[in-house]
Amino acid sequence: MDLDALTGCLASSACLVTQTTSGFIIGMLLFLVAVGLTLIFGVLKVVNFTHGAFYMFGAYFAMTAYQVTGSFALAMFCGAAGTAILGLVFERVFMSRVYGSDVLMQLLVCYAFVLIFDDVVRLIWGPEFKSMGMPTAFQVPPLFIVGGVVPPYYLLLIGVALAVAAFLGVGLARTKIGKVIRAAAHNPGMVSALGINTGLIYGGVFALGGMLAGLAGALAAPVRSLTPGMGFSVLIESFIVTVIGGMGSILGALIGALLIGLIRSFGSLGFPLFTDGLMYLFMVIVLVARPTGLFGKEVA
Amino acid sequence: MTELQAERAGQRAAESLGVPRVEARSKRLRYLDVLIAVAAFAVLATLPFLFSSKALLDFVIRCSAFGLFATSLNLLVGYTGMISFGHGMFFGLGAYGFGLIMQRTGVPIPVAFIGTLLITTIVSAVIGAICVRLKEIYFAFVTLAFQMLIHSLILSWASLTGGDQGLRGGIPRPVFLGVDLSNHMHLYIVSCALLVIGLLLMRQIAQSPFGYTLRMIRDNASRASFVGIDVWRAKLTIFVLAALFASTGGIIMCLFVSGAYPEFAYWTISGEGIFINMLGGVTTFLGPMAGTVLLLILNDTVTRLTDYYGIVLGIVILFFAIGLRKGLMDFAVEWYEQRRDGAKESAR
Amino acid sequence: MTKTSKPGVSRRSTLALMGAGAMTIATPWVARAQAKTIKIGMPTILSGRVAQLGTSSRNGAMIEVDKVNAAGGLAGRQIEMVIRDSKGQPQEAARVARELVNTDGCELLLDAEASSGAFAVHEVARDLGVLCIHTNSETSSLTADPKQHIPNAFRSARQGVHDSIVGGGYAAAIAKAKGLKKWATCSPDYAYGRDTTGEFVYYLKQFAPDVEIISDSWPKLFQPDYTEVVTKILQAKPQAMYSALWGGDLTSYIDQANIYAMFSQMEVFAVNMADYTALTVVKNLPKGIHSGNRYIKTYPATAENAAWGDAYKAKFNEYPTNWSWENATAIMLMAEASRKANSADGKKIADAMRGLTIKSPFGADGSVTMRAEDQTLIGYAIGWGTTIPNEPYVPEVKSGDWKQILALEAEWKKTKGYT
Repeated sequence: MDLDALTGCLASSACLVTQTTSGFIIGMLLFLVAVGLTLIFGVLKVVNFTHGAFYMFGAYFAMTAYQVTGSFALAMFCGAAGTAILGLVFERVFMSRVYGSDVLMQLLVCYAFVLIFDDVVRLIWGPEFKSMGMPTAFQVPPLFIVGGVVPPYYLLLIGVALAVAAFLGVGLARTKIGKVIRAAAHNPGMVSALGINTGLIYGGVFALGGMLAGLAGALAAPVRSLTPGMGFSVLIESFIVTVIGGMGSILGALIGALLIGLIRSFGSLGFPLFTDGLMYLFMVIVLVARPTGLFGKEVA
Repeated sequence: MTELQAERAGQRAAESLGVPRVEARSKRLRYLDVLIAVAAFAVLATLPFLFSSKALLDFVIRCSAFGLFATSLNLLVGYTGMISFGHGMFFGLGAYGFGLIMQRTGVPIPVAFIGTLLITTIVSAVIGAICVRLKEIYFAFVTLAFQMLIHSLILSWASLTGGDQGLRGGIPRPVFLGVDLSNHMHLYIVSCALLVIGLLLMRQIAQSPFGYTLRMIRDNASRASFVGIDVWRAKLTIFVLAALFASTGGIIMCLFVSGAYPEFAYWTISGEGIFINMLGGVTTFLGPMAGTVLLLILNDTVTRLTDYYGIVLGIVILFFAIGLRKGLMDFAVEWYEQRRDGAKESAR
Repeated sequence: MTKTSKPGVSRRSTLALMGAGAMTIATPWVARAQAKTIKIGMPTILSGRVAQLGTSSRNGAMIEVDKVNAAGGLAGRQIEMVIRDSKGQPQEAARVARELVNTDGCELLLDAEASSGAFAVHEVARDLGVLCIHTNSETSSLTADPKQHIPNAFRSARQGVHDSIVGGGYAAAIAKAKGLKKWATCSPDYAYGRDTTGEFVYYLKQFAPDVEIISDSWPKLFQPDYTEVVTKILQAKPQAMYSALWGGDLTSYIDQANIYAMFSQMEVFAVNMADYTALTVVKNLPKGIHSGNRYIKTYPATAENAAWGDAYKAKFNEYPTNWSWENATAIMLMAEASRKANSADGKKIADAMRGLTIKSPFGADGSVTMRAEDQTLIGYAIGWGTTIPNEPYVPEVKSGDWKQILALEAEWKKTKGYT
């Protein structure tokens, strides 16, 4: 515990700004990764434990595409598209069979696939860790924004995260398809009776959630090493963020992610050896005080 | 009439009457359980004399550890409907508690055993008091959160727990009552005894009026509370009891590897407990035991043959989750019933 | 509500599975140890995030086993390696080690487990009395702590304390030359990271007393996002930084620190940088990172070492790792000890191995020694240098002085209460 460092930082405005900026960056990266998980739970009422595996596939697809074509944009597209297709197939063939079952069955099916996917990646790409490398366009010095240091690449990531938040927030609330999706989440029987293909909706939402995870993985690939099993820590993080923010709430995921980002940022100053523990403690407190999370709705 | 049929008949009667029926355990059935337990212990105790395989001893010891853990998890999942994702924390607590007491104090093993159970009672009571009022998936989340918190603590509090390296240097095993646990045969016999006694006790809990209260809570908690049952108290009690048996499993594992490692308190242990329950089936009492044997055989066989254990385990899980949709024992019992009903049909 | 389908074929397969399983445990597994072959059991990690540890350990061992077998084997018996995956779980490591000895008839153990797994296998070795060489655990206490001393356990891996002594000395020289007084550390939060960093700092301050550690960070192992650590360090504005991060973590950290332009603001000392796995994977490796040697085929700059590295690369199509040479050394030691004792018996090999010096491409002066007093390896090539992004990666390596290392290590043991 190093409380002096923490209080010293809170007293200094320069430090306060830098740490808050870094907390913001961490939070936005977390949100980008976690939003797919909360979307799938919100609509399909399913906890997608394969979320980390989709993140992993997105990263690997992007890396391979980048190695083959040398184009960053194409790499990102491959990462996203590949995981969207994977998500659609996975949902239609496997997840749809366990919608009615209890959460244990869903967990087991997902976990089975995590095991399978990790080994498949190991078979195809090998067990050694790999790196995609930063495209030359982004190999530029960091910017100073409002006193905080921000690498341009992270600006891109934050931009994408905000765009996703806006897209989902507005899309689900205002557009017709968004309303159909929310209706299907609320009362699938009725929506189906109205002649709308709920199977397609479910598949589409799962594909979207998987794609978001894959896109996050692809975007993270230039700054993180790739290894089979890399999805696991990301799954835990996403899980914590969505549970704190409220499963199913996009806004909740955003706020939750930002809170975790700030806890990590300031926590590493004050509690360098217990930063992870702080996160779990916070999760326990939120769950005990408000089981559905900060912005979650009571699941019927 | 088999136990299962008696239970089912009771349930049907209860439903038709709209009144929860609590079956008083007949003395005969209880003696039958004890007899089965004694017979099982006798069989296990003579196994080493029939087969000279040391691997068999190791296998049975590990089955004892995981079997107690998984069956205790089933008390929560199958009998009370409380899906805990964090049950492994008590397995780890048992291992570390026992290991620390033996390494740091010079007390005899039975004292350390009791001491560990006491520590588990206190910790599980506190955690349970916070968790059990939550419903369904939120109970699962918060138990998982607590497990991760405890795991994080074990890693951070390195001066006490040894951090990520665990308790090193071996577990001292002073002889008690003529039992020398550094002798592998003695360890084997003690593990079998703990397993059989543990299963017997859990069976009594499951088949007692309290056990039927739990089933009632599983089926309809609000109805149970309308009838006057203190649901929170019942859930907390079973949470603590299940923790105690999980702890015992942890103690056996600690003695087997002669140490305690943070992996014992990691969510993967909880996950294995859940797989075992699914593999073996949650509707029969011995389902988790069957699941334990099956998972351990699978684990040992597959790791001998290939590095790609993940793919194999994944496929097996899918086979049971999507294909069979029930555990092995559920399947066996249903098959047996179908055959018997079929025989009755043809006899008619 | 979905219907349950009636099981048909699956019933048969389930029963078949049960039958096969029942037979597997019911049949007494009496290992038929042929008079001609000797089985060496090797528990290691072949799956999961650290799978590369197992695969490169296996490769390093096998390349030497093939040589030994071609020359007649251990006292006339051909070696058969039985390699098994513990998935990185210490209880599995213990189980696998026991199974290898009890069921599969392995007479010797090559323990290629990482830290906690190695301690677990150590207890098995203590219990069963079988010869066991730990090849990957760098935790000093495994051999330094008298509580861990058993006559049949050895370690052929480098030790964290040795690396820290050499690193501290090297870094202190540069600190004095360049006036680097304010340092930050960033190491993974587990025993290896904490111990190595603590020891490095201790020796750095011994040689350069002006040094002050103004910031320390402890990210979790395999943590994906290092942003809070990077910003914390940048904020403290140190002049130099030490890190014990390794493998994929080190690569991620470099990538993330790069976009914050950290490497232009301070000297970086990363003990695990000069490992081919990291050097060949990082795409934008900054110049001038100081690193200790893990395995580099140009250091020691001998023909034997280069030949060994090339042969490994030719056979496995990848570069050797630190784990590769440590496992190879274990086989070399076993072979030489067996030759000296003219026996393949574990106890006789153990007796011959204590204090044994063998010629080795990895030795600082062409040889390595298995020290008798605590049964761990000394005399291996150990040094620091700066890295460049292409071959030979570490053009110049400043060697550690073993006399000094041993003297300081003896003092360190005293302060820890090990002697």
